[in-house]
Amino acid sequence: MTRLVEVENLTKQFGNVRALDGVTFQVEVGEWIAIMGPSGSGKTTLINILGGLEAPTSGRAVVDGTDVAHLDEKGLTRFRAEKIGFVFQQFHLVSYLSALENVMLAQYFHSTTDEKEAREALRRVGLDDRLEHLPSRLSGGEQQRVAVARSLINQPKLLLADEPTGNLDEANEEIVINLFRELHAEGHTILMVTHDSSIGRLADRRIELAHGRLVKVNAAAWIS
Amino acid sequence: MFARLLWNLLRASRARLAVALVALISGAAVISALVNLDLDVERKLTQEFRTLGANIVVAPAYALAGSGASPMSPALMDESVVQTIEAMRTPAVIAVAPYLYVVARASVENSDLPVVVAGTWLDGIRRLEPAWKVTPGWIGSREERNLCLVGRNVARQLGLAPGKEIELRYAGNSIVETVAAVLEAGGPEDNQIFVNLPEAQGLLGSDKRIGLIQLSVEGSANQIESFANRLGQALPSLEVRPIRQIADAEGLLLDRIRLLIFTMVLLILVLTALCVLATMAALAMERREDVGLMKALGGSISRIVGLFLAEVGVLGAAGGLLGYLAGIALSRWIGERVFGAAITPRLDVLPLTVALTVGVALAGAMPLRLLGKVRPAVILRGD
Amino acid sequence: MFARLVAESFARNPRRKLLTAAALVLGMAAATATLTVALDVGDRLAREFRSFGANLLVEPQSDTLPLEFGGVDYRPVDQGAFLSETDLGWLKTIFWRHNIVGFTPFLYLPGQMTIEHRGGKLSQVTLIGTWHQHAVPVPDGSTFTTGLSATHPWWKIRGQWFSDGKDSCVVGAALAAREGISIGEVLELHGSSSALSLPVTGIVSTGQEEDQAVLIPLSLAQDLTGQRGRFRQLYVSALTKPEDASSQKDPATMTPIEYDRWFCSPYISSISHQIQQVLPGTDVRPIRRVAETEGRILTRVGALLWLVTLAALVAAGLAVAATSATTVLERRVEVGLMKALGATNGLVAALFLAEQLMLAVAGGGIGFLLGLGLARAFGESIFGVPSAPRVILLPVILALAALVALTGSLVPLRRASHFQPAPILRGE
Repeated sequence: MTRLVEVENLTKQFGNVRALDGVTFQVEVGEWIAIMGPSGSGKTTLINILGGLEAPTSGRAVVDGTDVAHLDEKGLTRFRAEKIGFVFQQFHLVSYLSALENVMLAQYFHSTTDEKEAREALRRVGLDDRLEHLPSRLSGGEQQRVAVARSLINQPKLLLADEPTGNLDEANEEIVINLFRELHAEGHTILMVTHDSSIGRLADRRIELAHGRLVKVNAAAWIS
Repeated sequence: MFARLLWNLLRASRARLAVALVALISGAAVISALVNLDLDVERKLTQEFRTLGANIVVAPAYALAGSGASPMSPALMDESVVQTIEAMRTPAVIAVAPYLYVVARASVENSDLPVVVAGTWLDGIRRLEPAWKVTPGWIGSREERNLCLVGRNVARQLGLAPGKEIELRYAGNSIVETVAAVLEAGGPEDNQIFVNLPEAQGLLGSDKRIGLIQLSVEGSANQIESFANRLGQALPSLEVRPIRQIADAEGLLLDRIRLLIFTMVLLILVLTALCVLATMAALAMERREDVGLMKALGGSISRIVGLFLAEVGVLGAAGGLLGYLAGIALSRWIGERVFGAAITPRLDVLPLTVALTVGVALAGAMPLRLLGKVRPAVILRGD
Repeated sequence: MFARLVAESFARNPRRKLLTAAALVLGMAAATATLTVALDVGDRLAREFRSFGANLLVEPQSDTLPLEFGGVDYRPVDQGAFLSETDLGWLKTIFWRHNIVGFTPFLYLPGQMTIEHRGGKLSQVTLIGTWHQHAVPVPDGSTFTTGLSATHPWWKIRGQWFSDGKDSCVVGAALAAREGISIGEVLELHGSSSALSLPVTGIVSTGQEEDQAVLIPLSLAQDLTGQRGRFRQLYVSALTKPEDASSQKDPATMTPIEYDRWFCSPYISSISHQIQQVLPGTDVRPIRRVAETEGRILTRVGALLWLVTLAALVAAGLAVAATSATTVLERRVEVGLMKALGATNGLVAALFLAEQLMLAVAGGGIGFLLGLGLARAFGESIFGVPSAPRVILLPVILALAALVALTGSLVPLRRASHFQPAPILRGE
């Protein structure tokens, strides 16, 4: 097994609040990790730091050999474009772009657009008949599937999902979760924030946070 | 993809952008109208200034505007000088008229008075002296040799009215003229009688001779000065002098008026930029989330801000173009309302207007640059 | 509670108001500046036009015909009528006395004197008596200093003008060039009954008949002619307003109201009428070349400037309206929240409008002050004299600010009344 993510003594301070307090763990290539814990436990902050959206106060967060803490603005932008795929709870599609264009936007920021590839990605998530629809005309599940297609389009090393099913009904939740299971089966590395333990159980391992500290790691885990 | 994104951006915020576009169009319209006017206004106003009358006088050397020490013994020159001047006629010359002055005795019925008689082209001085009030009207043709114009004081003193006859005598010569109209100038002309040039020459007994020539020339003080110089070179034996009263004051006033227009253009540009600024600030607010998302997807600041700036640029160009067209209509209207003449639209104002409008739009888009500072994390959990 | 809500809104979120306030301040400053300049420009340009010199000519009413030629009257001094110098102070007592910029009397001695100078002898020289700078006693006890520099500003002098009342002279440029007369030389003048010597203090160039003559102080000319306290012609330079339809009627046919309006407006016709009243027996005429040109250009530039001012006002209005629209739209969440708590559309609208109104008054007020400064600077740079502040514009500007701010917020407010609170609060 190869190590993809290496988090060491990671701390993030917001004013007086310590969102993360000395978190340490590792993730192997192809693993599906569920990050769990109550609101305000630092889950989102952890994802933000790993995705290069926020800088840690101290500690190391190495993704695919790159320490996020040491990247400048420009480096972070490239890092996000090349190594990370994001899926958000609120989907976050650009409202005035069609499904296809939303996927192509990620291609555009990465390098150049390839419409054929973007169509293929949407077909992969079962939306070949929704290519030209605006997000407002898609159901929540469909929007999230567009977001998943978008997150995969640049072959990222790491998929970061923040409560991807939080805004979905049961039927759609199942479709999206099945999608993640397929991706996992194909060997994608996934870090997913969730508070639904039934989803958490699908993961290879579960990391539980409370008050910014790592309190419990399930299954074959290391704590050092 | 860039073009596609741009198009979608423009379409998505069209309501918002419409306000900015209206501001840009109205700004551009006023600017192009004013610039168009400014290029034309000098010409139009110098034309207006021609109501001031002659601004160049040609006379025998040292006898400017007269004749040695008095008009009683005039220094004269040959009439052919007028042809020389007319031959080098440029469009700037509005009017030329020769003058020959005689102090004659005028008699009507029982009255008999000495009076200054000016021989000239009675149909030509209308263009030279548009400010005069002539009742009932100007003389149409100098072919009607016996018609004359009398100054209002002369008319009053001698009890003259249009249609009456007057006899003029000088050194044994005598002519009889019919009063065609009474003129009011508010100057020495009110005390003079204007007859046709050949009549005055006959009265003085000096065939084909004239005392001086007056010219009304349009243009800036420098243009008039240089025209006077050219005239002086062509007529070396004569004295050519611009009347400074007019040229200097005219130049000064024109400068003031131009400065006024320029200041107003500047103000309107600032206001247009302000309007764009307000709109763009709103757009920037609205787009914070989109920008955060784009950054999370790995979009670089230059790409994202570049996209928005391109959007503003397109808006500015469209505003400039439409504004130019509106400006043409506006300047035409102003021309007709204010100057009583259509102002020719100028194509070279177009690039200037578009460039200025795009510049103003980009300056107004300053708030969009703040988007570069948006932290991508804002989008997560609506933070 | 309502006042408290408005106050809270200002206290809680001052930065949000900043944009509207800034737009209001700038927009209203620009509006104030353009309006001040536009209101001022007529007076300013009228003053500039005085560089064309006199625009009124006063002559005796019952006179023989002047043999006037190129600005010089060649009648012998014992013929014709004269005006009296002692009456001139009355000019500064008429209704529009402050519009009388200056006046200059002229007395001509055509071809009577013989001059002896270094280079030779010259007969039949014309002398012109006038004022360069003369203190005229005004009946109210003050004095008014005036002369050629006010009525004939384009006359160019080399050397110096003669001092009023002193025995000295200024020689016309053409005469000086022809006879080789230079500054500092002393001219010997001989008339039929008089002789005197005059040092030459300067050479004047006018472009007209005066270039052939010798200019001397008026009092000296009066002594030489024996016409004490008298002169032939008076040139008056007055600030006037362009003629319009109502000013061109004959005053005799006007209704009392029309007459009052005409009398109390500085039309050239009403000023000449007033001069005629204080100088009985005179004939006061506008010099048409100057008066006509001035009238036409003032009317045109005035119209042009009002158009530009209108454009500037529209631009200012659009800018403020757009900003107001922005701030209202920005606060959708707040509106949603208020509506969720049970606020009616009317209350929400009233709250926002009250807020915009307060902003308009504050922004308009500050903008007005800023605009006065701006107008001063413009006046200074365009006309060399700062524009005077016009307090009368303050209510106009405040009303304008309120109008555009409220209009700007109306459209988004109408849209806000259709907001469904739930989706907004969910962040959709």
